[in-house]
Amino acid sequence: MKELTNDEVRGLGHAVGLEIQDPELTEVTYSLNALLEDLDHINPPGLDKVEPLPILLPPS
Amino acid sequence: MMEKAEIPFLSVSQLSELIKSRQVSPVEVVEGYLERIDRLNDRLYAYLTVCRDQAVEAARASERELARGEYRGPLHGVPVAVKDQLNTAGIRTTCGTPIFNDVVPDEDATVIAKLKSAGAILLGKLNMTEFGTTSLSHAFDTARNPWDLERFTGGSSSGSGGATAAFMCATSLGEDTGGSVRGPAAWCGLVGLRPTWGRVSRHGLRPGMWSMDTIGPLSRTVEDCALTLQAIAGHDPHDAYTWDVPVPDYRAALDGNLAGKRVGVVKELLYAEVVEPEVRDAVSQAVHVLAALGAQVEEVSIPLTRHANTISSVLRVEAPTNYRELIRERLQEIKHDNRISYLTWSLTPALAYYKALKLRALLRQEVLAALEHADVLVMPTMGIAAPKIEPDPIIDSKERSHRNRAGLTTSFSLASSPALSMCCGFTSENLPIGLQIGGKPFAEQTVLNVAYAYQQATDWHGRRPPI
Repeated sequence: MKELTNDEVRGLGHAVGLEIQDPELTEVTYSLNALLEDLDHINPPGLDKVEPLPILLPPS
Repeated sequence: MMEKAEIPFLSVSQLSELIKSRQVSPVEVVEGYLERIDRLNDRLYAYLTVCRDQAVEAARASERELARGEYRGPLHGVPVAVKDQLNTAGIRTTCGTPIFNDVVPDEDATVIAKLKSAGAILLGKLNMTEFGTTSLSHAFDTARNPWDLERFTGGSSSGSGGATAAFMCATSLGEDTGGSVRGPAAWCGLVGLRPTWGRVSRHGLRPGMWSMDTIGPLSRTVEDCALTLQAIAGHDPHDAYTWDVPVPDYRAALDGNLAGKRVGVVKELLYAEVVEPEVRDAVSQAVHVLAALGAQVEEVSIPLTRHANTISSVLRVEAPTNYRELIRERLQEIKHDNRISYLTWSLTPALAYYKALKLRALLRQEVLAALEHADVLVMPTMGIAAPKIEPDPIIDSKERSHRNRAGLTTSFSLASSPALSMCCGFTSENLPIGLQIGGKPFAEQTVLNVAYAYQQATDWHGRRPPI
């Protein structure tokens, strides 16, 4: 997958009200790219069909 | 007559019997612990706040109750300490950051109220990593491991690990999102339990991640862990996600009988690259002990456990939502590790979060499927023993952004299932090794009983740290 640049990460920050400058900007860019790359590699069978329930619900 | 200095070395169950029979008084007990805290805290940094006057006053009140024959149960007069993530009425609650130095709640968290109702005496508030969010950054002095003061306790419930292992409280509470009770338990040689999500109220807990936060005990024995859980478990109308289901008698469930119990060894975690040989050997030996006690052991596969830390990291989108104003207005007051993490999670795309939610659901299905064929699952808690305390490194590559590779705890957090860590041996450097035991949702009694059987058959819990 295409990696995000520092400028793109700065733009993402701006979109959520965060003005991210160096030195944090470079570190956040590495972190975000690593996270998204790791996630991109996880594609088990059934992923398209499962419902994204974050918790176990109590019995009704 | 017992020497006051010896009292802290008793287990909760031993101490409880002596208090009940009035062979020791709660005042003596509290004084014994306070003396030990005074002697050790400057080296261990386990406590952020010691509630000296309140503890002595509560001990006197306990003594009066006992004299009147008003016995509240096994925690009556027993000194406990809690992670500083839990609100305590009239006592500052920092959540591990000086930013909240002046925060003094006017209400106890439900678990604090329950402990007090059970007769426990609050000794103080325990150190933790900043906000309890990651396992690295301390905004106050870094808590030290009693087994080696140069090493980390594990986090985020770092003070809970250090204080309990150093006999500076009888039992403690931590908070476990991705492993923050089990990690310190593993590295400090304790029994630490993450209960089922929904078993223990989170009302009055400063939040980390709403969908994974749990409050659980760190204790020196399984029985003490069971007694502590008993006091805090149960439905709470103030926490809509606690389940209104019966709470078993956890201590009564400790019969140590493993005959016919099915134990699944999670092969992806036992043989993971991050697991060092000494850790793998100790856990394998523990599995042999369980088999010798009558358990039926077989290997099981949970493929997505390999990716649990990645899934959890993406879901941490939840974490910075608790502190949006701080992140915008006071970013430089937040420690480096959390600063970068909060910014990263704030920018994680919604589609990534949605995919991680789906992966979480699949992982939960895998865990629950494995538990259809096993009563408990076992694996290492951490791949390594406690590491040296080192400065938080600058992230100058993608590789450097992977901070917690040694943790093997996250699968049960994602599955909302209970899991416990207990000591199953020591490294050649005399550092504790953690065995993790996971179970079905709301089957804490089964997890505790397997742990109890193992602890009765071994003597690792009897070792004392060299402090």
